[in-house]
Amino acid sequence: MSLAWRLLKTAIVSLWAFRSYAALMMIGLIIGIASLTVIHQIGQGAQQVVSSRMASMGFGADAFYISSGGGRLGVRRGMKRAITLTPEDAASISQVDGVAHVVPHKNVARTQVTAGGNNTNTRVRGATPGWAAARNWALIQGRFVSLTDIRQSARVAVLGTTVVRELFGDVDPVGRRLRIGRTPFIVVGVLESKGSSGWRDRDDLILVPLSTATKRLSRDDKLSGMRVTMTDASRVEEVKAEVTNVLRENHSLLPGVPDDFLIITPDELMKLITRQSRSLVAMLTFVSAVSLFVSGVVIMNIMLVAVSERAYEIGVRRAVGARRRDILYQILMESLMVAAAGGVCGLLVGLLLSYLATWLLAIPTAFSPSGFLWALGFSAGVGLLFGVAPAKKAAGLHPVEALR
Amino acid sequence: MIKLTGITKTYYRGKVETPVLLGIDLHVREGEFLAIMGPSGSGKSTLLHILGLLDRPTGGSYRLDGIEVSSLSDDELARLRNDKLGFVFQAFHLLPKSTALDNVLLPFTYAGHFPEDAQERGRRALGRVGLEHRLHHRPGEMSGGECQRVAIARALVNDPEVIFADEPTGNLDQRSSLEIISILQGLHAEGRTIVLVTHDTAVGCMCRRLLRVVYGKVVSDEPVAEPTVALQQLQTLKEAAK
Repeated sequence: MSLAWRLLKTAIVSLWAFRSYAALMMIGLIIGIASLTVIHQIGQGAQQVVSSRMASMGFGADAFYISSGGGRLGVRRGMKRAITLTPEDAASISQVDGVAHVVPHKNVARTQVTAGGNNTNTRVRGATPGWAAARNWALIQGRFVSLTDIRQSARVAVLGTTVVRELFGDVDPVGRRLRIGRTPFIVVGVLESKGSSGWRDRDDLILVPLSTATKRLSRDDKLSGMRVTMTDASRVEEVKAEVTNVLRENHSLLPGVPDDFLIITPDELMKLITRQSRSLVAMLTFVSAVSLFVSGVVIMNIMLVAVSERAYEIGVRRAVGARRRDILYQILMESLMVAAAGGVCGLLVGLLLSYLATWLLAIPTAFSPSGFLWALGFSAGVGLLFGVAPAKKAAGLHPVEALR
Repeated sequence: MIKLTGITKTYYRGKVETPVLLGIDLHVREGEFLAIMGPSGSGKSTLLHILGLLDRPTGGSYRLDGIEVSSLSDDELARLRNDKLGFVFQAFHLLPKSTALDNVLLPFTYAGHFPEDAQERGRRALGRVGLEHRLHHRPGEMSGGECQRVAIARALVNDPEVIFADEPTGNLDQRSSLEIISILQGLHAEGRTIVLVTHDTAVGCMCRRLLRVVYGKVVSDEPVAEPTVALQQLQTLKEAAK
């Protein structure tokens, strides 16, 4: 029987003997590790949602997005964003070396839409035929906006499923009429459902041909933004720089004047979201770290008391030949095991809670093996660190004193 | 086997010095059955702790099997206790949550290596004290006398050269006391060396040699002329009870 195994067995037997103490010691750790796990799972879940959402928006590594109005990503959130991009900009960008496609769109302000006796208020967006493909957004019925529609500025509309439900209920909407504001349109297609993304229903949307949006639904031909797909993802910085030059020239911006547009690469967007979620996670992690520290102190104190109570046991062990370091290792092993057990329990509780959060509250969570190891390592560390003082106290007991 | 020369022990509590042993000379040969007697505070327990390598003398020389032990490190003393000595305490000092067998096997936990026949040796030691039917009982499920017998089995299991017993009958009724002493007498008859501390003259008279300690000094050291046989006393007691 190896030393490690004997230590382990001794620790298990003693912990079982003092299981009420062990349970007390574990409570703090369970809470700390459980909250850490939940936080971690939610953080991971949020990031997974963001990346899958970006993928569903067609935001692969070979594409970037140009938005009207200047400022910095994550900072500008003004209601009055200047609409600065034009169809000419889209045309000149498509000429830039390395650019494969440019898919522009125009957002029309939220508009009242009516069909038959029903009405709803929804987002209306002008799009080109490439729009759906660029976002991996399929149709479940009818057809999408065509080049002919664009040429004719046709009054045709493709609806999101929420709009269909609001206006038509269970009736097949394709071929039916609706009014966007006062302008009559014919429904030609229905988009597949993408679900909500936390704060916004992505299916609450009507698409019309871009030219229809600029000519019939608003008073200008400016664009809200455009998606630029590159021939080669590795040239992103180069293409971005060239596009910036072209746009600044088109907009006659003098040197020193800030850009009146914003180029967002998937990389930057991901970093921004990660940064935002990370600061929240960091704060919550700090809170649970404090609770772990407190539970470490609790473990230490309970073990110090237990060592006093078990003095005669330690005396007996010394009498039959245990060295100081045998006692030291035994107590350290015990606190390590209590902590590790607390960590595992906390982890399980945390997994259960995040499962419940997903199930009952629809909060996205994701399991991460790194978080698992982290929780175990952290709790074992707490056990070792706060086991040192009790272990030293136990090992320092004089056998004769201990046996009294 | 054991040779003490001028052993002194002084306790220091702050600035107060309390001399407990004032120069003890003692020679214990192999196979002896020695009782150390004396009133409380005479230093007999301290002497036993020093003999048992649980405490260090302040001065003097202690040779165990020819080894001068006063110069050994704590770890070396622990190894010697494990190898050569067995202990029986007044309050039994068993681990309450471990079975009799596990308690008996405790010394092996701290031996250099765990013997493969440990279980067998544990059973044999418990058999030697008449507890083969109590292997898996815990101390709480046994009488005081049985607990002390488990403690004797624990002291025996590693085949020690000396068994030290500190008031082994102090917590027991007369009948259990006699049982314990009769086991010790049996072990002595098998050739084991036993050193026992007691303040009970009846127990002292069951050993072969009686050392009286008063105020840290040996006042008498003589063989017991006719040691009482505990087993006979036990028989008498049983008959009287009928």
